[in-house]
Amino acid sequence: MTEPKKVLVACGTGVATSTVVAQAVQAAMKDRGIAIVTRQCKASEVPSQIGDVDLVISTTPLPKDLPRPAIVTLAFLTGIGKDRELEKITEILSR
Amino acid sequence: MDGILTGPDLGFSFAAAWQGLYGMAYLPVVIFCLALVFGTKPVKAASAALSVGIAFIGVVLVIGMFWSVLGDVSQAIAARTGIERDVIDMGWPTAATIAFGSQVGLWVIPIGLAVNIALLLTGITRTMNVDIWNYWHFALIGALVLAATGSLVMGLGTVALIAALSLFFSDWCARAVQRFYGIPGVSVPHILSVQVLPIAIAVNWMIEKIPFLRGLDANAETVTRRLGILGDPTALGFFLGLGLGMIGFLDLDNPVTTSVNAFAVGVSLAAGMMLLPYVLKILMEGLIPVTDGARQFVERRLGKREVTIGLDSSIVIGHPSAMASALILIPVAIALSVLLPGNRVLVFTDLVVIPFIVALAAPIVRGNVVRMVLIGTVTLTLGFYIATALSATFTLAAVDAGIAQPANGTELTAMGDGFVWVTYLAVALTQGLGYAGLAIFAALIAGAFALLHRYRAALERAAGADDPPKED
Repeated sequence: MTEPKKVLVACGTGVATSTVVAQAVQAAMKDRGIAIVTRQCKASEVPSQIGDVDLVISTTPLPKDLPRPAIVTLAFLTGIGKDRELEKITEILSR
Repeated sequence: MDGILTGPDLGFSFAAAWQGLYGMAYLPVVIFCLALVFGTKPVKAASAALSVGIAFIGVVLVIGMFWSVLGDVSQAIAARTGIERDVIDMGWPTAATIAFGSQVGLWVIPIGLAVNIALLLTGITRTMNVDIWNYWHFALIGALVLAATGSLVMGLGTVALIAALSLFFSDWCARAVQRFYGIPGVSVPHILSVQVLPIAIAVNWMIEKIPFLRGLDANAETVTRRLGILGDPTALGFFLGLGLGMIGFLDLDNPVTTSVNAFAVGVSLAAGMMLLPYVLKILMEGLIPVTDGARQFVERRLGKREVTIGLDSSIVIGHPSAMASALILIPVAIALSVLLPGNRVLVFTDLVVIPFIVALAAPIVRGNVVRMVLIGTVTLTLGFYIATALSATFTLAAVDAGIAQPANGTELTAMGDGFVWVTYLAVALTQGLGYAGLAIFAALIAGAFALLHRYRAALERAAGADDPPKED
């Protein structure tokens, strides 16, 4: 049993849109058999929270030069381009 | 026998507990039914409804603790310094709880959807607001109108009108948002953010006339690096609480007691800052089957129609200019809270949502941090007086939603949306003029849409959109 991958989901409040994204990504990764745990925070907290995570997904612009892979996307809110983002996420988490 | 007929005496009256607890008692039932209507399986709908009920219990508990500690320290400060700030900024999570916990909260999702679909089908708006969660802003203003007028019909009418108004603003700033933030097809019908547009346009116009001010800007990255600590809610809550505790409970003869008291206030308030959004997230999660279902419902019915998708302004506040100007505005807001004559509001919880208040000024001033701070200062100054004027109504709406007022007798507000002119306009019109006020509000919104249809390009430019590209 491998450790679940850690995904940090960020938005403006760490409450609203990040919850939508976290739930959508959890469901999609479960279908693909990838074990993940998500944690939510505000975009401004990403630099201090990023230490142990495998991927950051954000609905709002992120600070530059983050040490971990990061995806900024609205696909999980609009439904447009969701599959493409899920491919990207799967690829990063399968490494 | 009597015991059987009247029920066991549990020390409280079920009728009293039932009355006023719309959020806890009714909302789970409504959420269950709505989730079923939108095609969620019964078990999942039941579990979602239960988490909504649980979230309400949790959020009311946290608000009770938080409000009482903040109220006590503000009263202690008033007794010591004579600075009376007895209206506590309990933050947007409290406002959202009032909204969903009110009688109008039960109706906000169907009303919001109906208004949106009607305005889309008639071609009046181009926005499809799929950010169902933030329909709570409509419900909050409706709940305040209900508290102010006592009329459920006016409350529900206000919900519909605010839903329409948010679509107008979304249409107005869509191109500016899309160009400035690089997010095609999207806009933000979010009342707390769009309210800044008229203020930003006016203040920016004045700044343009002032030779020295005109040239000023600040580097967003530097500001964020220097003031970043202020953006951490728990650190902010702790240090601000420590400071307030020191002022409120300072006793030079007993430095140890003073420190312990101040430290306790700091930790309690840091706890409030951390726990309030945390319990609110449970509410958000419980609503997801309904918000997802509602979104798919509109999408299915509107098919391939060309629309602007309305999202939470949360998606634009990560912009460096919004972050930087909001950080500078935190100490500005605290200073205004202390210095403004006639103000009764103690800012606290919503200091962390200032980015939402200024974000949409960014396209208008091309991200100029100094100008955004000035626009924010004007917006907040106005906001303090609006919140002071509405505090009794806000508190009444909170009590109606099942939140108990603490023994210290302080009132409450929230920067989002208690500081917002839209809120004031809605309450003032309906409270002052009754149905005529509601009609005037409707006419104003209709007029705004008409202007937008007539002068779209000019108005879009005013909101910060670049000149339209030559045919490409």
